[in-house]
Amino acid sequence: MEFKELDPILHSQLRLAVMSLLISVREAEFTFLKEKTNSTAGNLSVQINKLKDTGYIEVTKQFNNNYPQTICKITKKGIEAFENYVKALQSYMHPGGN
Amino acid sequence: MSSTKKNLSEKESLQLITEMIGKAKSSYHSNGTGAIMWGIVIFFCSIFTFLEIQFHFDIGFDVWWLMWLALIPQLVMILRSGKNKHFVSYEETTMGYVWWAFGASVLMQMFYNHLYHPHHSESLFLMLFGMPTFITGGMFRFKPMIIGGIICWILFVISLHTELKINMLLMALAALCAWLIPGIILRKKCSRAAQQ
Repeated sequence: MEFKELDPILHSQLRLAVMSLLISVREAEFTFLKEKTNSTAGNLSVQINKLKDTGYIEVTKQFNNNYPQTICKITKKGIEAFENYVKALQSYMHPGGN
Repeated sequence: MSSTKKNLSEKESLQLITEMIGKAKSSYHSNGTGAIMWGIVIFFCSIFTFLEIQFHFDIGFDVWWLMWLALIPQLVMILRSGKNKHFVSYEETTMGYVWWAFGASVLMQMFYNHLYHPHHSESLFLMLFGMPTFITGGMFRFKPMIIGGIICWILFVISLHTELKINMLLMALAALCAWLIPGIILRKKCSRAAQQ
């Protein structure tokens, strides 16, 4: 019986929530992620930076109607990591399967 | 969700993934304004053309060119919604391409008709109307649009056996079934979602 190792970057509640949201949309604003994860701006900002530093997401800062806007987008590396994470989870849930 | 230190069990992780994907998917709501507007425009143009044929009058220009005018509020709506949007979904992007392709096909068909005046060309519009409507309905699992698309294709078959005057009524019916009614249903759903 072999258990795959869970990616420590993704195995965290808020980072996993952010990645799950970003895998479902093409891109999302910081405010959207904050609202859906029900997190604080400071905490979310720290976790987004961690995901960005790992190369799992891209973060673009721009201005819209004179308001700063932070747009997040999952990268190819992020998609692969997310898929591997889900496969690893499945191996824990169904240890007999491949 | 304030803590990042919480140890997640495998089951909790899967639950969280499912919950977040569900939240993202349910975030996209069309308010139906575009569908209502185009439904009214096509309905009006079809009925007007029917009346022109029935009562033998001519206003001096092709009423169908009003569709160009309807593009202006459509573009304004697209720009406004883009400014207020906090995310872009894959489905929305795909739908955008489908409807732009449809718009381009209708315009090309209009130019073709203008140049060559083919017989029964209005039937081809009915066929075209069905395509994006059916795809949109299928993608968003919105039955009124799936049914609307199918109705357009049924009307296409009927229109092959009827004259232009009747086909204009069929086109008005298509506009009602494919866009106006589904658009009104969407608007009601959207208002209800906004109230909750």
